[in-house]
Amino acid sequence: MSEALDPRTKLQSMLQPVNNFHLESSETCLEILSAVLEEKGEKDVVILSKGHSAPAFYVMLHEMGLLSDEELYSFADIDGLPSHVIRGLPFIEVSSGSLGQGLSVANGIAMAKRMDGEEGYVYVILGDGELDEGQVWEAAMTASHHRLDRVIAIVDRNYFQLTGGTEEILSKEPLADKWRAFGWEVMGVPNRKEELKKALETAKKLGGRPKVIIARWEV
Amino acid sequence: MIESFREAFGRALVELGEENPNIVVLDADVKSSTKTAYFERAFPERFIQVGISEQDMVSMAGGLAIGGKIPVVSAFAAFLMRAWEQIRNTIARDNLNVKLIPTHSGFSDHMDGSSHQCLEDIALMRVLPNMTVVVPADAPSVPVLLKQVIELEGPVYMRLGRDHAPRVYDSPKLKLGKASVLRKGSDVLLVAAGVMVSVALETARKLEERGISAGVVDMHTIKPLDEETLLRLAAKVDLVVTLEEHSIHGGLGGAVAEVLSEKMPKRLIRIGTTEFGRSSRDYFSLLERYGLTAESVVKKVEVMLT
Repeated sequence: MSEALDPRTKLQSMLQPVNNFHLESSETCLEILSAVLEEKGEKDVVILSKGHSAPAFYVMLHEMGLLSDEELYSFADIDGLPSHVIRGLPFIEVSSGSLGQGLSVANGIAMAKRMDGEEGYVYVILGDGELDEGQVWEAAMTASHHRLDRVIAIVDRNYFQLTGGTEEILSKEPLADKWRAFGWEVMGVPNRKEELKKALETAKKLGGRPKVIIARWEV
Repeated sequence: MIESFREAFGRALVELGEENPNIVVLDADVKSSTKTAYFERAFPERFIQVGISEQDMVSMAGGLAIGGKIPVVSAFAAFLMRAWEQIRNTIARDNLNVKLIPTHSGFSDHMDGSSHQCLEDIALMRVLPNMTVVVPADAPSVPVLLKQVIELEGPVYMRLGRDHAPRVYDSPKLKLGKASVLRKGSDVLLVAAGVMVSVALETARKLEERGISAGVVDMHTIKPLDEETLLRLAAKVDLVVTLEEHSIHGGLGGAVAEVLSEKMPKRLIRIGTTEFGRSSRDYFSLLERYGLTAESVVKKVEVMLT
């Protein structure tokens, strides 16, 4: 039955019984996940640092035929899909749910790959509210210092965090300038799959420094 | 003769690095203090400097473990605890093969005072599922246990002091997870970890002079605790004493109290701390001030047995 539903409707219907658990932050993550999973090569790694967008990730797995209807609708049931992603799920190398740690983990994976002469990019999806965590900026310094140019961060710039607008809670702007000042290549694109895929293609071609794509949610 | 925890650690790490190319070492700008600088000199390509950012260091180690490396993370114990939540949520929860090996635990950083001294870490690490907790007694124990820590698949916290490491063993034959029985006794059992193992041995000798027979156990692996050895030896005595350079809450004393109260109720004295430290020009003054000397322990045991 859910085959006929589009991803957004599917998301709404799976979250309806759980009081719309992180519905908005999952909605804004759908196109990002879709673009990243389509771009992902065999040697690439995806880290969902904003682990609360797990519902969007499950919808994508369902779209790819990796989850059944029954599994999708088991979301947050005691033996069902966990509310935040955990290691062991398809594509998930590291558990998240606690904000601010994914970029550091991505750097570690990229470093291990480089040491072993292995190929592959590490995509890490961050929330804009998540950028309040100081560890993100520790990791931003580490990535540029060590020239981890296989790290590609995507910021879900939806302008909202838990209790209000991002600029009201803790200003993020000028966001692109901040990343640039930390030594990153910065790209800003609308949060739409085709534009995101193009940006990812471009990011992969730029060597020498880590890349961040700021995916702006435009209503 | 190396009689320093950090010296023993720094050198052992280089030796293991020769054998195992998967070992990588991460540093938060304290390599000259933790002695991981030796590893950097030997294997610069396997040494990762992250700057003064322990949280980033711990999570990055998680990534390296996912990538197939055996990351060794070192820092001052007190400041590694800054990354407790990263250790919990990424390293322990995902059961990643990361080795957390801080130096400067207990009072060993005597000069730097209460901010730098770490008396809570065993409790903080012991509570985490999947985590193994190891506390070597002296410098010769360090390479023996470190080798096994590296070989063990999964997260390990191995707690080291700074320099002062009075000798307990000449050539220790230690097995991770198996308590080392140093002395048999029929009145009291002294269960110790770290530097306090040598204090326990001294306590046992003093008690013997007073006609009290004391056994001594080096409980170098605090988690998983060797309950079998503990219960077997505790069954023979009237009193058990735990000794650690750590809070009496949640550390070795806590672990032993949990086992005994459930399986073999027994009189117990926990020797350790209940407050923060303070700065001191020498280490021994701190041990004296906080009651971590043989004289002090002997008094407590005598009071309890009379």
